Amino acid sequence: MDENPATAPLPGDGPLDGDPGLQPERTALAWGRTVLTLVAASAMSLRWLPDQGPFVLAMFGLTVAAGTGIYATQRRRYRRSVEGIRAGHLTPDTAAVFWTAGACVVLGALGVWLVLN
Amino acid sequence: MSVPSTPPPPSGPDSRRSRFAEKLLPGGTEPDPRFTLANERTFLAWIRTSLALLAGGIAVEAFTTDVFPEPIRRGLAVLLLLLGMLLSAGSAVRWLRVEASLRSNRPLPLPLIGPLLAAGCAVAAAVVIAVVVLA
Repeated sequence: MDENPATAPLPGDGPLDGDPGLQPERTALAWGRTVLTLVAASAMSLRWLPDQGPFVLAMFGLTVAAGTGIYATQRRRYRRSVEGIRAGHLTPDTAAVFWTAGACVVLGALGVWLVLN
Repeated sequence: MSVPSTPPPPSGPDSRRSRFAEKLLPGGTEPDPRFTLANERTFLAWIRTSLALLAGGIAVEAFTTDVFPEPIRRGLAVLLLLLGMLLSAGSAVRWLRVEASLRSNRPLPLPLIGPLLAAGCAVAAAVVIAVVVLA
């Protein structure tokens, strides 16, 4: 307890992440913000619930599922980034990028369909 | 300029890469992991921008019934939604191009989605201004 707080080790398992730029944490937070924006964007469509109930619910359910998928893999993603930085070698998460972009394109297409019908 | 053939990663052919990644990002070597993560965050920032446009498009149609006449409201909503879709797809393409440049140590490509976003937002703003002024 008499250690200098500035240099004392952080609580937990120890120096899990040797990167002073906190890249894994920032990246995980960026994914988290994206999930929130995705769900908030599709939640706007709930305004049409009285007229287009099942369609709107399906659209909202789709984004909630995509968001849940991202949230469920956050811990794995963080650990992967930490280990990648440690090893100096990180394979890009191609699938996550394309699934996310795809989900946004689908959300937009469903939105256009709603507007025009 | 001849690019020297890239040496295989230290552990030999990279079995950790999926076939999908191998096909999309052939050749080169894995860049500094921090660059890969930075590229991922930049992609996510673009995705959130496109989601804001999608949310805007949905909101225009859902909440402005009393503000805009119907054709303009629909046009504006569709414009914002299409822009958001283009930007979503464009951000994935940009992520891929940046990652490919990082792998082969080339300069980063210019963001084509930047001018697209600016032009689209300008058109949407012009429509709103025109409606407000002419109303």
